[in-house]
Amino acid sequence: MTNLIRAELQKLFTTRLWWAMALVMFAFTAFGLAFLIAQAGVAPANGQPGLPALDDPAWLPLALSFSSGANIFTMILGIVLMTSEYRYQTITGTFLTTPKRGRVIAAKLGAGVLVGVFFAVISLLFTGIVAITAVLIGGGSIDLTSGRIPQLTLGVFATLVLYALFGIGLGALVRNQVAALIGGIVWAYVIESILGAFPALQTVGKWLPGGAAQALMNIDFDTGLGQPNLLPAWGGALVLVAYALLFALVANLTTTRRDIT
Amino acid sequence: MTAIEIRNLSKSFGAVRAVDDVSFTVEAGTVTGYLGPNGAGKTTTLRSLLGLVTPDAGEALVNGQRYASLDHPLNEVGAVLEATSFHPGRTARDHLRIMTTAAGLPASRPDEALEQVGLADAARKRVGGFSLGMRQRLALAGALLGQPKIFILDEPANGLDPAGIQWLRGFLRHLARDTGAAVLVSSHVLAEVEQTVDNVVIIAKGRLVRQGTLAELTGNGGGAVRVKTKDDFAPALRAAGAEVEEVEPGVLRVKGLDAEEIGRLALDQRVLLTEVIHERSDLQSVFLELTGEGAQA
Ligand SMILES: Nc1ncnc2c1ncn2[C@@H]1O[C@H](COP(=O)(O)OP(=O)(O)OP(=O)(O)O)[C@@H](O)[C@H]1O
Ligand SMILES: [Mg+2]
Repeated sequence: MTNLIRAELQKLFTTRLWWAMALVMFAFTAFGLAFLIAQAGVAPANGQPGLPALDDPAWLPLALSFSSGANIFTMILGIVLMTSEYRYQTITGTFLTTPKRGRVIAAKLGAGVLVGVFFAVISLLFTGIVAITAVLIGGGSIDLTSGRIPQLTLGVFATLVLYALFGIGLGALVRNQVAALIGGIVWAYVIESILGAFPALQTVGKWLPGGAAQALMNIDFDTGLGQPNLLPAWGGALVLVAYALLFALVANLTTTRRDIT
Repeated sequence: MTAIEIRNLSKSFGAVRAVDDVSFTVEAGTVTGYLGPNGAGKTTTLRSLLGLVTPDAGEALVNGQRYASLDHPLNEVGAVLEATSFHPGRTARDHLRIMTTAAGLPASRPDEALEQVGLADAARKRVGGFSLGMRQRLALAGALLGQPKIFILDEPANGLDPAGIQWLRGFLRHLARDTGAAVLVSSHVLAEVEQTVDNVVIIAKGRLVRQGTLAELTGNGGGAVRVKTKDDFAPALRAAGAEVEEVEPGVLRVKGLDAEEIGRLALDQRVLLTEVIHERSDLQSVFLELTGEGAQA
């Protein structure tokens, strides 16, 4: 199995997509951080509470939680890990090399976990360095053990890993690369955003992967839309595990018996 | 043990019966040509053999086992499939390295296999820029990675230029004769395989129509001999018990005597023969006859 997971990672790292994703992720994170830094402590005109100030202990967790936004990139990599096999018909060669198809799926999921971890590490490192620098310049002090930072870090890892698995499951189900990418992005950016943003819709949204990840990170930052309606952190973790299993099952069922012609 | 065994294999796609109760075997050390017109069911048979397609009935076995149950498939079977596809952004060498990693083969194999198929110079080029012939060679390199003793090749000559086809013929013969491999190679162009194969299996519309050695199939086309002479030779031939037909002035088609007997008779009769040809029904016409293509044309 180690060999198969290594082969899956080679597939990813021998094409140019992964570093394109990493670059876009850096740009995306940098842009977000710039916004968080610029708006820190600025109160909007309508009297709503604004973002916490840089020296407010609530700012750093907020900035770090932004790393979970990289989930979109691990999802894309997960989708591509699966669908490029169908797009370029390399699935034939893959199954010739490893005819026990369940093992291929397991290896892809294993590779997806590693990709999620890898992106979580580089995303957190990048965000952490920039955010901590900003806090120190802003006159705040750093305590990495407080403010739910450990839990939040765990949440970022879980989110990025889970979305990689989600991408693989979605890719196995849809197989058409473009359709899967559009579907995945619409899901993550439109459906989950809407269902996760408004407390009224969160009764549904909290059960979705995005909502569960939010619960795990437990960012109760007031968006001005009311108190968020989330699962408890442990509930979020369970829901995420359930999704991971579901995606693995979907990937397996849709792949093991299909004729490759 | 029989290297490749196909037993009562059937597979339908919807209403299309792609393969219908086909059985044949391929032994080690021989090259078998799997021939049939477009849509005959060749690819479906080979994909069933490789575990990519699940047959409706019957079995397709390599070394007595289903491909999907092999623990080290690349070490037992090398396959080149029609329209074998590669990721265009990946180099030839990386493509083989991935297979090598997954199969747990020595890291030296990709370069060795590329060398063997004459692609060493293009090893680090992206496959996207490869010609069809180069892709076929790369696919063949993939089949060679695990140094297997069974080769299953679906139209491997597609896209090769005449020199490439010549090379492929020699290579397949080498695999069978020198390494004792069993080679099953499909084609719909007879000329490609005619000089390479020992055995022929012909399939049309999913059904096996003929199998045998190349000699059996091309055999003596009724044992006729074509003789060219300016002399009046027919009466003597008839007197010797032959059936003679004058196909055009000065050309006789003789049945019932072989070339040597005809030559002796000519010597006795002091007849000058300018040409004596053993008429063989060539594989192409056997093929067209058997697959019903001739009737349609
Ligand atoms: N996935 C599929 N879905 C539907 N029909 C299929 C499928 N694959 C093959 N067929 C049909 O099965 C029949 C046999 O096809 P197959 O590809 O095995 O023929 P072939 O002998 O390899 O032909 P060719 O010389 O053109 O490669 C054809 O009628 C084809 O249309
Ligand atoms: Mg075919």
